[in-house]
Amino acid sequence: MADTTEYAISVSDVKIRYRIFKKISLLKTILAPHKYKKTELFEAVKGVTFNVPKGQILGVVGKNGSGKSTLLRAIAGIFSPDEGKIDLYGHTVSLLSIGVGFQNKLSGRENIYLSGLLLGFSKEQIDEKLDEIIEFSELGDFIDRPVKTYSSGMYSKLAFSITAILETEIILIDEVLSVGDAKFKKKSYEKMKSLINNADRTVLIVSHSSETLRQLCDNILWLHDGEIKMQGTCDEVLPEYEKFMS
Amino acid sequence: MSRFLKDFKRFFNYMVFSSKAELKSEVADSFLSWLWWILDPLLYMFVYWFVAVAVFGSNLQYFAAFVFSGYNAWTFFSKTVKASVKLVSAKKMIVTKVYVPKYMFVFEKIGVYGFKMIISNILVIITMAMYHVPLSWKIFWIFPITLVLVVLTFGVSTIIMHFGVFVEDLLNVVTVVLQLGFYVSGIFFSIAPIGDKVAGRLQPPYDDLLLKLNPLALIITDFRRVMLYDAAPHWVMLLIWFFVGLVLSFVGVATVYKFENSYVKVI
Repeated sequence: MADTTEYAISVSDVKIRYRIFKKISLLKTILAPHKYKKTELFEAVKGVTFNVPKGQILGVVGKNGSGKSTLLRAIAGIFSPDEGKIDLYGHTVSLLSIGVGFQNKLSGRENIYLSGLLLGFSKEQIDEKLDEIIEFSELGDFIDRPVKTYSSGMYSKLAFSITAILETEIILIDEVLSVGDAKFKKKSYEKMKSLINNADRTVLIVSHSSETLRQLCDNILWLHDGEIKMQGTCDEVLPEYEKFMS
Repeated sequence: MSRFLKDFKRFFNYMVFSSKAELKSEVADSFLSWLWWILDPLLYMFVYWFVAVAVFGSNLQYFAAFVFSGYNAWTFFSKTVKASVKLVSAKKMIVTKVYVPKYMFVFEKIGVYGFKMIISNILVIITMAMYHVPLSWKIFWIFPITLVLVVLTFGVSTIIMHFGVFVEDLLNVVTVVLQLGFYVSGIFFSIAPIGDKVAGRLQPPYDDLLLKLNPLALIITDFRRVMLYDAAPHWVMLLIWFFVGLVLSFVGVATVYKFENSYVKVI
């Protein structure tokens, strides 16, 4: 029987290594070439294969250093896998994390445009969402002041608002559910939920909180040392994971 | 190639906006910062005047306009190349969070320094007016010459940017090479004679050789020929360097596409 499920993300046998490209120094290479013959290989993701159907909310768990963030960045296209293939079927994707990188001397408003354009949105699309972003960020008059005058809380509020309100078809979330003060945290959590509940949107969430994942996700992918240890529904995977971690 | 066009189109707005943003953030601290865009070449002109006229007894026709035209082109090239060395790590915040074709950063720098070049070229026009330089229609040749300059700058910078990611001390090397380039490009002296108006500082055949091998010397000389001395540019050599620039750009973009996703692992 043919597989009729519409996928948003296909990851097939992806391996990601750190090492191959190491910084070199011309001077040191000339003076001490033998030092550069040693190479250490660290494989962060060791052959991972999974598919995410369109509209699914997939939680990714695993202990620190299990390759979760690496995998997420690879899906976001920030770096390519050394082996294997990642197919997003032409969907737009954004990695929801703390700030795309602001120009400190420019105002918050100008930084919204910069970040939006970077995420691949047109100026018109940003114009449309501008007010919503400013309102959501709760920055008020500060939006026209240089970003360098912001407190760290304000900084991350703005960053979150930009990525959360300029919505892409695939959203990758890397532990950002703790932004700003308690009130903003609750609000961003609600926003996240409403983003996620859109049936067309595919979401990958990396989190250490089983509580959060249980509330938000359909399925869980458990990574351990760069390999898939378990994959299934929340009720199947999370109790096992908790047992393993305790 | 088609990927390049697609990406270029997609990120074109970002490039324009971020170039503007960078210029804006330069002047954000004080309203007079933009004055430096003019003061900078002006003050350097006095330095070169001192070296060339007072020390070496140069008697170049239209000295100030002569120096400005060379200085502007050279500054555009050298600043863009120098900025490219550490460009990817300078944009770390962006590179680690979102995908951008990395050569777009080079375009952004070209936008910034290109704008400054246009501003300081006003100085050339002012000094030309002060000298009552007779104008000819040949002055319009500055546009194709500028195109050659931009294509070459982009090609060289993109390749430098790629190696700058992996080679820690590339900046030291590039700085020295640029310093040498400054002296062999004829900023405050003329390499070869221009008609009977300007005497060349180098003996033949070295003057001709240098103009052929150093594209910046060629471009700067040709800027002066068309703007100040009513002479035709070296078309054949310009065309050759234009194609070299295109090849370098092509190699640069292809290399960036091939390796850019590994940059994050290094920085």
